[in-house]
Amino acid sequence: MTKQERKKAIIVFSLIALVFMIGSILTGGHGGEEESIQTVMRDAVMHDVNKISLFGLKDVNPALISGFIVSGIMILFALICRIFVIPRFKLVPGKFQLVLETVVGIFDGMAKGNSHINGFLGAYIFAAGSYIFTGTIFELFGVQAITTSGHPISLPAPMADVNGAIMLGCLSYLVIMSGGIVGNGVKGIGKTLKDFSLPLSLSFRLFGALISGALVTELVYYYTAMSYVVPVVVGVLFTLLHALIQAYVLTMLTSLFYGEVSEKVEKPPKEKRKRGKKRTTVVKEQAV
Amino acid sequence: MTGVPLNIDWQQILLHLFNFTILFGALYILLYKPVKNFMEGREAHYADMDSKAEQALADAENSKASYLKKEKEFDDEVRAEKNRMSKEIEAERERRLAAARGEAEKIISDARTEADREKNEIIESAQKEITGMITDAMEKLTLEQTASDAFDQFLDAAEEATNE
Repeated sequence: MTKQERKKAIIVFSLIALVFMIGSILTGGHGGEEESIQTVMRDAVMHDVNKISLFGLKDVNPALISGFIVSGIMILFALICRIFVIPRFKLVPGKFQLVLETVVGIFDGMAKGNSHINGFLGAYIFAAGSYIFTGTIFELFGVQAITTSGHPISLPAPMADVNGAIMLGCLSYLVIMSGGIVGNGVKGIGKTLKDFSLPLSLSFRLFGALISGALVTELVYYYTAMSYVVPVVVGVLFTLLHALIQAYVLTMLTSLFYGEVSEKVEKPPKEKRKRGKKRTTVVKEQAV
Repeated sequence: MTGVPLNIDWQQILLHLFNFTILFGALYILLYKPVKNFMEGREAHYADMDSKAEQALADAENSKASYLKKEKEFDDEVRAEKNRMSKEIEAERERRLAAARGEAEKIISDARTEADREKNEIIESAQKEITGMITDAMEKLTLEQTASDAFDQFLDAAEEATNE
């Protein structure tokens, strides 16, 4: 591209942006939203206003639909990779192969680093981490859906719904418990139940982190004045970073607790204990 | 679902769970397991290569050790052979030296014998010559005396005859 062509492109791009800006200012100050910001933010947390019909069977939260779409996209992606990419893997990896291997390697390494029983754990944290990351990124695309009341709605991240977060938090807890059972039998259940607050903390940490990002993003997009430049920063901070951080936090916590409860506790032999007691009594006697 | 905080809906939780279970299964079968298998296969391949290289290295080390051992043995053998040869050479030298000495002594002895013999012969011939010369001289002397005596006798006879 020559300098003149570049200049032309910049001018055209700037003019288009200017036209959009003028248009958005002229069409009103609420960014097209019919609800108040309070309603929007309350609904983002409570999901009591905007519902989407699930094939006419039930009205569900939009995040559940997001979850289905994200799962569909991920399964399709996995299927394409399985058919077209993985059979062409080489010993010296290309760029895309390297990305896939790195992602699998990160979760596998995390599982191996935290527990000696790591086959299932690696697969679980891979799925959970990928789901959280992709689901959070999905929010950026602003896929539209129609609510039961007929309003268009931008689909949120699946984990921005408390039900989704509770599901993943509780499931992670169950996975941790399964690690305890495999590693220590019935004692493993006891060890897991000791951390009874874990499912709550895992669920609401995820929900809180993602809903806070969603709320800030909602707030920013609600006002026209904040719709220029700011969303770039907000989008990166509250979506991309959240996607990475929350995926890492949940998988890391799950691995850590899994490793902790699956670790075998070796009791010292009884004879040594007795000897130890004898020694202590001798020492005490000597001291007296 | 009134009364449940945050509008938690158990049915939707189960739907999320159903969704995630399918996703987990699909990701495990389609992506995680094949990629992990490939990575493990490659690791095994490189481990195999590594073990083969180590084996080859060990073989090379063994060959080197064996070669060095053989070289040492050869060196020892060469040294022993050299020692043996030098001893033989020394013995041969001594033997030849002794033989040369013996021959020299023999030559000297022969020479002496020859010299003595020649000396004796010379002395003997000289004695013979001297004896011959003396004999000749005596003969001559005798002859001279006889002639002079005969001449004297003749003269005496002639004188006597004259006188008579």
